[in-house]
Amino acid sequence: MTESLTLRDPTERVSPRAPVVWAAGAVVRGLVLGGLLFAGSVVAELFTMSAWAWAAYAVVVIGYAVAMPLYRFRMHRWETTERAVYTQTGWLSRERRIAPMSRVQTVDLEQGVVARLVGLATVTVTTASAAGALRIEGLAVPVAHQLVSDLTRRADLETGDAT
Amino acid sequence: MLLVHPVNEVIRFFPALIAAFLIGSSSGEGGWWHVAAVAVPVLIGVARFLTTRFRITATQLELRRGLLSRNVLTAPLDRVRTVELTSSPIHRLLGLSRVEIGTGSASNPGSDKLRLDSLPRAEARALRSALIHNVGHAAATDAAVDDVLLLLDPAWVRYAPLTTSGVVIAAAGLGAASQFVEPAINRLESSSVSLPAVPLGVTVVAALLAFALISSVLAIIGYVVANWGFTVSRDRGGRSIHVSRGLLTTRETSLDSERVRGVEVHEPLGLRLAGAARATAIATGLRRRDDNSAALVPPAPRAVVDRVGGLVLGEADPFSAPLTAHGPVARRRRFTRALAGAAVLAAGVVALVEALDASRWIDLSAIVAVVAAVPLAADRYRRLGHGLVGGWFVTRRHTLRGRRDALATDGIIGWSLGQSWFQRRAGLTNLTATTSAGKQAYGVHDVPESAALTLIRAADPGLVEPFLAPVRSAS
Repeated sequence: MTESLTLRDPTERVSPRAPVVWAAGAVVRGLVLGGLLFAGSVVAELFTMSAWAWAAYAVVVIGYAVAMPLYRFRMHRWETTERAVYTQTGWLSRERRIAPMSRVQTVDLEQGVVARLVGLATVTVTTASAAGALRIEGLAVPVAHQLVSDLTRRADLETGDAT
Repeated sequence: MLLVHPVNEVIRFFPALIAAFLIGSSSGEGGWWHVAAVAVPVLIGVARFLTTRFRITATQLELRRGLLSRNVLTAPLDRVRTVELTSSPIHRLLGLSRVEIGTGSASNPGSDKLRLDSLPRAEARALRSALIHNVGHAAATDAAVDDVLLLLDPAWVRYAPLTTSGVVIAAAGLGAASQFVEPAINRLESSSVSLPAVPLGVTVVAALLAFALISSVLAIIGYVVANWGFTVSRDRGGRSIHVSRGLLTTRETSLDSERVRGVEVHEPLGLRLAGAARATAIATGLRRRDDNSAALVPPAPRAVVDRVGGLVLGEADPFSAPLTAHGPVARRRRFTRALAGAAVLAAGVVALVEALDASRWIDLSAIVAVVAAVPLAADRYRRLGHGLVGGWFVTRRHTLRGRRDALATDGIIGWSLGQSWFQRRAGLTNLTATTSAGKQAYGVHDVPESAALTLIRAADPGLVEPFLAPVRSAS
């Protein structure tokens, strides 16, 4: 008799305003790529983009900017216990990271331009491993501050140099 | 306080010196070019000599340097992870060594590395022992009392052509030589020599053979230059491991045993078919970009690699124990991916052949690609494996690159489980353990999710249990 283990999703969701930030990022990326296409087709004349091609591109960008943030909002979750931090990120693929509190080195809080307008922040938990950082995007600012103080308090209680 | 000899300064400027000398003499009015070319680097060298100081106290190492701006670099002695002694041919001629000290700092790799250029060799070795064993400078002993774990057997040169190093060098050389090809062809055409007509196929085969021969020769030369005198030794107390190698530039790396967190075994396809492999140490404090810093075993027979790896880790099981296979779902996924990829490639080739109206023989290569995908996929699946052996997280994966890594579980910081949309349907996940040593993350793909969680639970009890879904037992 073997047990079949699965991981459940973390319990906490990010702020409902987070899709705004993600959508803004998607629109900016779409505009930049559109600019490159424009430069390639009109300025440098490497290829031609018909009106249909532009319309199709616009539809794809808008579709992406609307659908991706919604999927991401369903996927991005986080949870902290006394012993560990557990995050889940992604939208098509899913990545789950677990780091024990005893190995946390720094807890950073940052706000991008759009995030600050909407009142959100990103908390990054770093460990001694360059590949081992956990990011939680789209947290409401009070929640983010609370999380940072919780994590620093719990990490403080652990001794050792955390490598 | 000890002074650091600035011979390296003049050494560094030597080529420029010679060039300036030649330019000066060829342009005729050489006079004051010569003086300037010689005087300027010498003055800079002397200035650096006078302004560089280093000091070791009971708790830290201090390096003060700077011509125009003053830099003081300090490193606590107990943060020293690795010490590397490098001697270029000129250093060796003068009996000097360059000392580089790694402190395992994750923030700024490489830029502020503590570097003492050109200490006398005996002093450099004494300094190394002092730093690694964290004892007083005066009490340091020499490396003569170490246990030797590995000595290079010159017969291993036969494995050199099977690595990719020769191909890389040959390709670079080809790129450089290509600019000479066109004028050469033009000259041939304009001359009255008539070459016999050779069919295209023979020319292509001959060119490939020539390329293979040249890259083999280059690989052998590269192997000898990099790995001559390869020695791995461990001091009697077992506290540090020394690796020294090199024909022209000798390099001696010393690792604090506590900071060696595992071993990576590389078995690229060529080496694996010949029954060989190579190994690097997973240690904190080594420059991550430079893989060769951590080389533990050069391309050598697999048995040698396993033996040395076992001696370094103190346990032979991680290299010989059988690993858990990944199950039929993973196998199906490997085959689907390989065959789908090969089919797409073949379709593309056929379409191109039709569009360009090229020789139908090229279609043959498309069929070959599809047929070759089957044993490739089978081998990829067979190699997939993971396990917890003693206190080591062992993973095996890849066919062309061929990796088998053993990482100490107490060196593992956190875990990462990634799943693509397809993997989620199949119940598979990519399992990665993050660490502060070596490549920072080691893992394997296409692990059944339940097996991955069982492994994490065994490696770090109590970490993942709160996050498990309510258990369904399948009887």
